[in-house]
Formats: sequence, C-alpha cells, structure tokens
Amino acid sequence: MTTQGTSHIKAKTLAAALGAVAAASLAAPAMAQDVLKIGAPLALTGGLADEGHKQELVWKMWSDKVNAAGGIDVGGTKMLVEIVEYDYQTDGKRAGQLAEKLINDDEVDVLMAPFGSGHTKIVAAVAERYQIPLVACVSSSTEVFNQGFKYLFGTLAPNSGMTEAMVAEFKETMPELGTIAVYGRDDVFPKSMATAISAAASGAGIEVVYEELYPVGAIDHSAALSTIKSMSPDWVYMTGYTQDLILGRKQMEDLGIEAPIITMVTGPAYKEFTEGLGELANGVSSSTWWHHATGYTDVSGAWDSTDAFYQAFLEASGGEDPDYVHGSCAAALDVVADAVTRAGSVEPTAVRDALAATDLETFYGPIKFGENGMNEGREMPIIQVQGGEIKILYPESIADAEMMVIE
Amino acid sequence: MGFAQILANGVVLGTLYACIAIGFSLVWGVLNVINMLHGSFIVLGGYLTYFAWASTGISPVIILPVVAVALFVLGYALQYLFINKVVTAPVLTTLTLTFGLDMILYNLMTVFFTATPRRVSLDYGRIDALGVSMPVDRLIGMGLALVLTGLLFLVLKTSRIGRAIVAVRMDREAAALMGIRVNHIYATTFAIAALMAGAAGAVFAMVFPVTTNLSGVFLGKAFVICVIGGLGGVSGALVGGLALGIIESFAGVIVGPQNAITIGFLIMLFLLIVRPTGLVGVKGYE
Repeated sequence: MTTQGTSHIKAKTLAAALGAVAAASLAAPAMAQDVLKIGAPLALTGGLADEGHKQELVWKMWSDKVNAAGGIDVGGTKMLVEIVEYDYQTDGKRAGQLAEKLINDDEVDVLMAPFGSGHTKIVAAVAERYQIPLVACVSSSTEVFNQGFKYLFGTLAPNSGMTEAMVAEFKETMPELGTIAVYGRDDVFPKSMATAISAAASGAGIEVVYEELYPVGAIDHSAALSTIKSMSPDWVYMTGYTQDLILGRKQMEDLGIEAPIITMVTGPAYKEFTEGLGELANGVSSSTWWHHATGYTDVSGAWDSTDAFYQAFLEASGGEDPDYVHGSCAAALDVVADAVTRAGSVEPTAVRDALAATDLETFYGPIKFGENGMNEGREMPIIQVQGGEIKILYPESIADAEMMVIE
Repeated sequence: MGFAQILANGVVLGTLYACIAIGFSLVWGVLNVINMLHGSFIVLGGYLTYFAWASTGISPVIILPVVAVALFVLGYALQYLFINKVVTAPVLTTLTLTFGLDMILYNLMTVFFTATPRRVSLDYGRIDALGVSMPVDRLIGMGLALVLTGLLFLVLKTSRIGRAIVAVRMDREAAALMGIRVNHIYATTFAIAALMAGAAGAVFAMVFPVTTNLSGVFLGKAFVICVIGGLGGVSGALVGGLALGIIESFAGVIVGPQNAITIGFLIMLFLLIVRPTGLVGVKGYE
C-alpha cells in the first residue's frame, strides 16, 4: 500500500513537472529571438570526417569568442549565437535531409554548407527551396554557383582565378615552359580545376600533351603516370584529394617522372600532404585560397588580424597550423554576423539582401560577393613546399620566396 | 610506352589485388557469408602497421605477422560471438550483420585514427631493367603477397585444419557427422580470412596511403576479383586478382584511367553470363 501511495505521489509530481516543462517550452519562442541560430550539416564521420572536424573546430572557436564578448548586435539588442550541427556521415543525400531538418525542426536562421562543392550543391538546393541564406566556405566550383540561386554565398573565389594566375606566374619564371600533362580526379572540384588549367594553359600557348580524369574509386595511378612519363612534359598538374595526391607524387617518383614543375591541387594546402610525403613534397606547388602567412591587419570580425586568428587557432588546436578550410570557414561566420547586424534582424530575406551587399575586410582577406554569390575580392596565393615549409610565390604583396624548379 | 611496362604494372597490381581478395573469397566460399567487414579489416591492418611503424621504426615486414595475428584473434571472436549465431540463415541475414559490424568498425577507426591518409614511407627507390621501372616497395609487397597466398594454399592443402575447412566447404552435414566441430571451423576460417586481410593491409600500407574511406574500394575490388576468378579457393583469387590488375593496367592506357574500372566491371558482367563459376572456380560455388 505504502509503495503504491508513494508512486501515486511520484506520478503527481512528475505530471506537475511535465506541465512546468511544457509551459516553459511554450514560452520558448519568445526567448528564441535572442539567439541567432546557425544550422550546419557536417561530415563528422565517414570519408570527409577530417574536413568536417575542421569546420566544427573553427565554428566553435568563433561562437565561443563572439558569445564571450556578449554576442552580436542586431537592431540594437545583443544576440548570442548558437550553432546547431548534425553529422551527415559524408553521405550527400543525408546532408540534404539534415538541412531540411535544420530548417523545419530547429528553425535555424542561417545555414552553413558542408565541405566540398558536391555536397554544397545538394544543401544549396534545399536552402534555396526554403529561402534560407546559405554561406558556403569550402566550395569553389562555378558549377555550384551558376544555378541562379539567390540565397547561396561562397567565401572561396572561383577556380578559374587560380589557374590563370598560376599559368602566368610559371610562364614568367620559366619562359621555356612548353608542355603540360593534366591528370584530374573525376569529382566536382578536382575535375573543374583540371578543365580550368587546360584552358588556361592552351590560352597561354602551352601544349596540353595529356588530359585524363581518373575515377573516384581509383587506388593506383601506374597506367596514367607511365603514359605521362613517356611524354616527358615540363609541367605535371594533378588534382584530387590528399590520399590521391600523396600516392600520385610517390608513383611519379617510383616511375621516374622528371618534370621541373609538379603542381598538386590542393595537396600542399593541407599539412597531411607534407607529412605523408616528407622529402618528396619538396618542390610541389599548388594554389590555395588562403594561408596563415598572409598578414591582414586592422580588419573587422571576431579576430582583428590574421595573426590574432593564427594564435587563437594554435591554442585551440594544440599547436597545429590552420589551413584554408579553417580560415575560410571562420571568416564565413564573420560574414554572417556582419550581414545580420546590417540587416538589423534575422529575417531570411533581409539577411540575404545584406549578404549580397557584403563588403568586408577580414583576417582571411577581403570578402565581396559577385553576381553569382562567389567571393570576388581575392587574389589567391600560389604556394610551394620548400624545405618542408610552405612558401608563398604569389601574389607579390605577400610572397616570401622565389619559385623553385624540381631537379 | 612499352608493352613490358604496362604488363609489369598490371602483374604487380594484380598480385596485390589477389592479396585483397583471398580472405573474402574463402569466407564466401566456405561460410557462404558475404563479409562486408573485409575492406575495413584491410584498412585496420594498414593503420595498425602504420602506427606500429611510426612509433617504433620497425620494418613493416616484421610488423606484418603481429598485425595478422591480432586480426586473427579479432576475426575469431567476431565469428564465434556474432556471425555463428546466424551463419545458417539466408545470405541476406549474414550480409546485414556484417554490414552493421562494418559500420561500427569503420566509424570506430574514423574516431580513433581519423580519416587522415597515412603512409609508411620506406622510399626504397626503384629498379630499372629491360625498359621497365618498378619501385622496390611494390616488389616487396608483391613478394609478400605471393608468400602469403602460397602459405594459405599449403595450409588448406596439407594441414588438418585446412582439410577440415575444405570438408566443411564441401558438405557441412557430412563434415559434422565425421566429428568436425563445424562452429570452430567456421570461426577459424573467418579468423584466417581476417588474418589475410590484416596482412594485406600491412602490405598495402607500404605501397598506398591508408585512409578509412578506402574500405569500400577494397571491398568492391574483392567482389569483382571473386566473380572473375571464382570462389572458394586460393587459385581463384590469384587468377582473378591478376586478371583484374592486368585488365585495368592496359585499359588505363588504351581507353584512359577514367574508363579502366568500368572495363573491369564489364568483364565481370560478361563472365557472370558466360561462366558464372569464374575463370577457375569450383562448380557449385557460383
């Protein structure tokens, strides 16, 4: 009897508690206005897990810093920022579903795109349908931005900008440069870069002697590299993910390819590349969107200089260097904060219009969106591994080394 | 470019392919289980080799047997504790179970090892002979793959446990009546397959960068090789692996690397139609 009596009381207490919770959650919408909700489908497991974790890390750094300072100014009140993330397990379809969930269930105000052009494209279609602003920090393929989407903005610059500057720079350093072999991964970004370099090289009078793509599932490059060897090109340009490029560089050495210029996009932009290759990484050049050696000062956003971001990153990562993914994604949130402040509300259309009018100097460099939503305000560095270190060859304003020809 | 170079590329790659497929073929042939864990076993073997090499500097050739034994133990435990419970169920049940186990193993590896590509950098250089350039580490890998394949062949042919495995493969009921402990044989077979996968992983870590997202690629290769070569024996995996390696190598030059893998799949489809047992498969295992 006693037991029954107790449980009865317990049940009553529970009911009362539940009621209180229900009441509190009914009141929640009013509270929610004080928080800017940013939704992020991220690849935290699966093949792109490394990249997903990079985004997660800098977004946490950014929101911690901004919230510690009281939040961001929206129409006269301070708003805290909450980043709602889900793991889409490197499965593109799931990224789209989670973007819908973020919009409908979590009612986020702004979305951040996941890593890579392929998955960004999927999320962009969802964001466009619901008219929620989407900022993409790791997508640079024009194919993602040429679909007429009004709510999509990207902090990386178009691929073509990278290739034309590179051809001009290399041709200047090595006037006898006459032939190029292009070998790219059949995937949105690597393919787009391979196509762009072929066009840029032909345009500059460099003969494209080999131009092939390899499929996503390729685990060996002997066949292609043997063919390239027989053509002895002056310049070998390979695109792909880090694992492809590590293997590709090693197989070039194994097969005895002796090209004075080897470019791997975007291998040297990642420290995993130089770590995985050691000595063999020396001399490999690449384009990148950002490098922490670039020194922007007196800028707006969460960090007032590139160095301030770099120091904060070293602390947060336990001494590791940031790469362009970290830089671009941290700056993307500066863009969101700036747009929301200028819009004076979190209303999606107002934020979208404010984003379109962005003209911001950040630690990552200038950000200004063009007609298609891509960042136009950038001169992208050409980098080269020299003595195990990343050196900047271009643009002149931040260059710290001369181009080295591979012996 | 020389015919010899293309052929040599294909043969070396093919031997490594055989090494991938052999354990997969054994489990499929004997247990009638399509082991979705196989690719992740190879990746696990590769990572264990990399971390052992990176922390101690010991040659991967010496680390290989240790990794292989570790995978043997893991394989035995998985089969004994989980897969044996449903091993007689229709193939879809065991496929789903190993698929689930694979997701757990894959994600655990991603959490603990991260997906960062790792490479055992031996950089032994290369040998140039008869107009063919061949990296030394690949030749070592090929040698190891052949030794492993040979050992497995001998074990199946001559040892008591090997004969028992072959007996269970031929007729489970009769083997049980002869006093063979079928569950133990199943677990041992699965463990040997895991051992071969671990060893293959160690060999691969010397030649290719290891990363978790290769597990699906390895599994796909194993599948194609088994269909081309045939199931249930060592020779099937060897023939299938060599065939695929050589086909991909020539196709890569003739029709371009983008289409080389497609050609491999087309040949698989063709064989499924005209010769479902594979090139050297045993009848009844199609």
